[in-house]
Amino acid sequence: MRALIIDDERLARKELTKLLEEHPSIEIVGEAMNADEAEQMINDLNPDLLFLDIQMPGRTGFQLLESLESVPLVVFTTAYDEFALKAFEVNALDYLLKPIQAERLSEAIHKIMEKERAKIGRGAGKKLGLEDQVFVKDGERCWFVSLANIRYFESDGNYIKVYFDANRPMIHKSLNALDDRLDERAFFRASRKHIINLSWVEGIEPWFNGGLMVKLRGGDKVEVSRRQAAKFKDMMSL
Amino acid sequence: MVQIVVAISSSEVISTKRIIFLAYESFFCFLLTHGFRTYMNSNRWLSLSMPRLLPRLFSAIIVMAVAMYFLRIPLSVPLGLFNKSLVFDLNNILGLSLVYSFFFFTWSIVYFTYNYFERYNKSLKLEASVKEIELSNLKSQLNPHFIFNALNSIRALVDENPDKAKMAINQLSNILRNTLVTEKKGLTKFGDELKVVRDYLGLESIRFEERLKTDFDIDPASKNFLVPPLMVQTLVENGVKHGISKLTEGGVIQLKTKVERGKLSIRIRNSGQYHATNGHKRRGGLGLVNTSQRLKLLYGDGAYFAISNEKDNFVLTEIIIPPIQYESVDN
Repeated sequence: MRALIIDDERLARKELTKLLEEHPSIEIVGEAMNADEAEQMINDLNPDLLFLDIQMPGRTGFQLLESLESVPLVVFTTAYDEFALKAFEVNALDYLLKPIQAERLSEAIHKIMEKERAKIGRGAGKKLGLEDQVFVKDGERCWFVSLANIRYFESDGNYIKVYFDANRPMIHKSLNALDDRLDERAFFRASRKHIINLSWVEGIEPWFNGGLMVKLRGGDKVEVSRRQAAKFKDMMSL
Repeated sequence: MVQIVVAISSSEVISTKRIIFLAYESFFCFLLTHGFRTYMNSNRWLSLSMPRLLPRLFSAIIVMAVAMYFLRIPLSVPLGLFNKSLVFDLNNILGLSLVYSFFFFTWSIVYFTYNYFERYNKSLKLEASVKEIELSNLKSQLNPHFIFNALNSIRALVDENPDKAKMAINQLSNILRNTLVTEKKGLTKFGDELKVVRDYLGLESIRFEERLKTDFDIDPASKNFLVPPLMVQTLVENGVKHGISKLTEGGVIQLKTKVERGKLSIRIRNSGQYHATNGHKRRGGLGLVNTSQRLKLLYGDGAYFAISNEKDNFVLTEIIIPPIQYESVDN
């Protein structure tokens, strides 16, 4: 697995590199000392895994993740940050407390490998597919969401509401920009306001003006505009 | 009340004059005790020890009792109750004065008991607030973020530079020791405080490396000046935490002291920007609030403390400390 270490302190990076020598399955492809550098390297090197410090000068680790379109697997490294870590209590996410203990690191890597094995064909195309995950932060709470779990996106002013499980946090992005990045075989632009995840579609009914009403598993209903209806029928009927 | 009304109505004839006389009498009693109270306050009788207080109190009671006896005379004349032979009879004087003494004595007991309790309450409250400030200081000084980051750097140094790692461990233990014994010490020499600051900055420079530069300009006269322990260290740490660590390219911390006109002036400058209404309300403002509270407790209004932005992207924190006066803490 190709990993990137992101920490503003040289000694902290060095210490982690040293600890990772015990784990040949992890290949360190680069080290970044701030979020800007990291963003550049993530785009260039496309790593599978980030070891990410939360508190850094300039942008924090969270802000970095928010700016990424697709988020690799992430292990947070932090000395002490109760507020930041609380945000993740609901998620099955891993973090390492500095000074990092070798056993804890092994556990974390073990978990990561299992996650990685469950995935197939990630990073094949440039577009975001069901196997990719995104990072969403809404106020105090954070999530790593697999795109497979997102039922649909809804535009709301300058924001997009992301519907998954019982949550619908907002991300600051335009629906058009998102639509361009999503794999069109997995996601469909239903209307000016909505993008739906095709794997969640359960039923389709005719609607007014030649449009369609799509029923999603879980009970949500999303309208498909007349303009998109024909295209939608095409896609769903082989 | 009922009894008084009954008593008055049962002896109607003499009573009108009696009542007027009693009213004047109680009015004078009130005047005397009021004057006495003012006198005691201005002479701080409440803070006297018992052996010094009791003789004064008893003489005062006797003086007031006799004064009260003679103050009645001008009143009894117009009311026709004046009886010359009776008034200047020694037995009568002594007897009635004794009655008045007893009255003033009772009044004093009530007065002193009330005031002692009041003062006890106040001192308890003050003590509680001092303890509270000490506790929150201790909490803010044992900054876990700093300690764990330092330990992490030291771990890496063990391989890279064992000597430096050993030095860092000493610096860290000095800081921890100082934090733990602070509570027992009221004030510390600035020279000792400076050592803690140097240890602290030494550790932070291991962590931040070339991103943290330090600059000291210490007036030798300041080293024996007494200062509240860890106050300067806390402020320097603030400068690193909110200033240097937020800057990608790092910055400078300067510590400058000077003794001027008997007062110690401490100026801490750090790169960065000070935001009075910072988003991190929970942590950001605590150090500064603590500092000003501590200064207030120790020096009253005698100390000066301010933090401000300077032009060239620097934050200036300034403290001026007068030579110590302990009185304000005890009273």
